[in-house]
Parts: sequence; C-alpha cells; structure tokens
Amino acid sequence: MGIKVAQVADGTVDAGAKLAAQLGDPAVVVYFASPKHDPESLAAEIARFFPTAATFGCTTAGELVTGAMTKGAIVAMGFDKDVVSRAVVAIVDGIKDSTDGIDRTFSEWDRRLGRPMLELDPERWVGLVLVDGLSGAEERVMERIGDLTNVVFIGGSAGDDVAFKQTFVAADGRAASNAAVLALLECPNGFDVLKTQSFHATRQFLVPSKVDKAAREIIEFNGKPAAIAYAEALGVKPDQLADQFMAHPLGLMVGGEPFVRSPQQIVGQSVRFYCGVDEGVKLAVLDSTGIVEDTASALKQALDRNPGTKGLLNFNCILRTLELEAKGQTDAYGKVFAGIPTAGFSTYGEEYIGHINQTATMLLFR
Amino acid sequence: MAGQIKMMIDQIIEERSKGNALLVSTTQTKLILKGFDPVKYDASSPDDPAVIARLRQVAADLNVTL
Repeated sequence: MGIKVAQVADGTVDAGAKLAAQLGDPAVVVYFASPKHDPESLAAEIARFFPTAATFGCTTAGELVTGAMTKGAIVAMGFDKDVVSRAVVAIVDGIKDSTDGIDRTFSEWDRRLGRPMLELDPERWVGLVLVDGLSGAEERVMERIGDLTNVVFIGGSAGDDVAFKQTFVAADGRAASNAAVLALLECPNGFDVLKTQSFHATRQFLVPSKVDKAAREIIEFNGKPAAIAYAEALGVKPDQLADQFMAHPLGLMVGGEPFVRSPQQIVGQSVRFYCGVDEGVKLAVLDSTGIVEDTASALKQALDRNPGTKGLLNFNCILRTLELEAKGQTDAYGKVFAGIPTAGFSTYGEEYIGHINQTATMLLFR
Repeated sequence: MAGQIKMMIDQIIEERSKGNALLVSTTQTKLILKGFDPVKYDASSPDDPAVIARLRQVAADLNVTL
C-alpha cells in the first residue's frame, strides 16, 4: 500500500515488464521517460502491463528519482488507492490552436464524477498537467484550466533531451504532440504543493510597455527598447545582457514570491522569454541564489508541514538542471530527495496556477 | 466616477472563493496572472472603461456574473 517508485536505465528492453515488476499493481502510474525510449510504443507497453491502472506520462530532458538525477532513463511512480482513491485522465489534443478540448474534457469529467469541476473540494482533489513543451500553449492551457475549476493543477512541460525538436505527452496507451495530459486525482489523505525558485527580488522593476504576447516577446520596457532597458537595469552593456539571463530573470511578484519569467534570447532590440508576459505588469529584476540549499530548505519546511508524506513528484526546470550541471551539483540536488520516494523530470516549463520558468513545482502526497 | 474596478475584483474573488481562504489566495493569483493585481485598485481608482471591459470578460471566463 502507498507509493512505490521504479526506474529503468537507458537501453533497457522490456521496460514495461521491468516497471511492473517494481511497482506491482497500483491504481495509478505516472512515468517520465527519456525520448530515447520511443514514446508511442512505451505508452502502449505501459498500458498493457498495467491494465487496471490509469497511466500517463511524458518525455523528458533528464529525470529525477529518489536520491538521484538521471539521463536516458524511465522513472515512474505507482499510487495505491489509499493515496489516490480515484483518478480520471485525458489527453487534450490540438492545444496550439484551441483550448476547447479542455472544456470538453471537463464536461466529460463533470458527468463521470457526478459533480461539476467547479464544485470539487480543492483540498481533496488535485490536478496534474503535462504539456507538449514545444507547443508554446502553456499559458492558455493553464488559464483555461484555472477558469473552469478551483482545483489546483501543477505539472511541467515535456522535454526532449534539449534537442528542441518534438516532445510527447501520453495517457492510457497513446502518446501525442501538440497535446496536454490532464489528470485529476482524489487524495483522501490530502496533499501539498511546493513551488520553489532560487531567486530574490531586487528593488529594480521593469514594466513591459509593448509586447508581442503570442511570440512571448517584450518589445519595450518603460517605453525603451527592451534589451536596452533590461541591460540598464542590470548595469551592463546591451551586448553583455544575454550572459546575465540565467542569473537575472524577471519575476511577477505574487504575495512576495516571484512567478519567474526567464528570458531566452535577444531578437533585434526585443527580448524573447520562455513564457508570455502582459503589457503593464510590473516585473521585478531577480538575483539568483543557491538551488541546492534553497530547495533543501523549502523541502524541509514542506515535510515539516506534512509529516508522514508518502512521496512527491518534482517538475524541475531544465534551466535549473543546466545550472546544476554547470556547477557540478546534480548529485547534491538528487540527494536532497534521498529521504523520500521521488519521481520527476527536467521540464521545458513548470505549471502551477500559471506557466512559470526556472522553478521546481512539486506535489507532495500524504 | 471611481471604484468600480475594485468592486468588480472583490466580487469575482468572493464569488469564486465563497469565503474559503485557500481559494481567495488562488483566485487573487489567477487575477494577477491575468494582469489584474487586486492591490493595485482601490475605491478611488478611476473607472477606466477599457479596464472594466477586460475585467467583464475575465469574470465571464471565470463563470462569475457581475
């Protein structure tokens, strides 16, 4: 009973059988797989080996498992009914063009659950969301979910080992791109959400005064070309700005905590981000702090709040992973999770109420 | 005239949260992510027609009748 974690390494054949041998007969299986494992055949194989379970997952840019970060692996978490007593799962296709599929999915779930999604108890039900990480649709997906329900959805954007060619999400035997997986879980013992990012806000603010939201580009801050204004705020020359992106992203401050908006590249004098930004929304310039120390501290506080936590899912930004790799800290980060059953992956974006960057969103199961 | 935006935001939060503190917080976050920071508006904030129109659409999306 409870939660079990499974892992199979790069090059493993019969991955479904090996996962089944480790997980037993759970009610729900969540898996995160390197794109080295063919997503479509893996989805079918996992569904075949867990015929009575709800199964869903996605491709990764690296995985996380209890006590370690991995590459090329499949990691999975199996939930027994004492932790997740009921689950409904769906793939929403065509998210680049429309979020209508979310409305249809929720209407179907209203019927299956016998209650409107808007009336579900948000302290008993939680949602997981896995999105095609190259769709550019996460903001619209998360906004529509938030419009239709008070249940909190958290998750991440699928990766492809930093190839940036194609990512997949999968559910109940089928894998797809240009899609999102939505899963709604009933947790009779409750759950907690942890959102942690290793930044503090400076006293500098930038306000986008002209944006191309669809392209996730800020054209002007405070009426100046975006790259010029951003460089001035950091006290560097414009040609030095890109080197500062990892350490100094911007944050939409919510209750003193940043929802991080990470710059991706300079386009002319505009700045393209990894998530959309609205005009007129004040953004704090952020300073980076230590990922390993901050995460360990945040996790300790979360576990203190939730004694008896049975396991957690960790959606960890690929930019954090790249920073950990550059600093030789991947082992140290993995060890932060040595004491608790963990599965997760390096994402192309994190989801918690909205779409965010350079963050780890985690779901703790009691 | 002033204060209508503050009233609309308060009504959206009240309707969606029904007084649940957790939902007050998440609804405020949703509004901030949609570009409406509740603390930015008070009873003296001017009734900007463009902002009010956008907020009416947000309310409709959230299934709140103003």
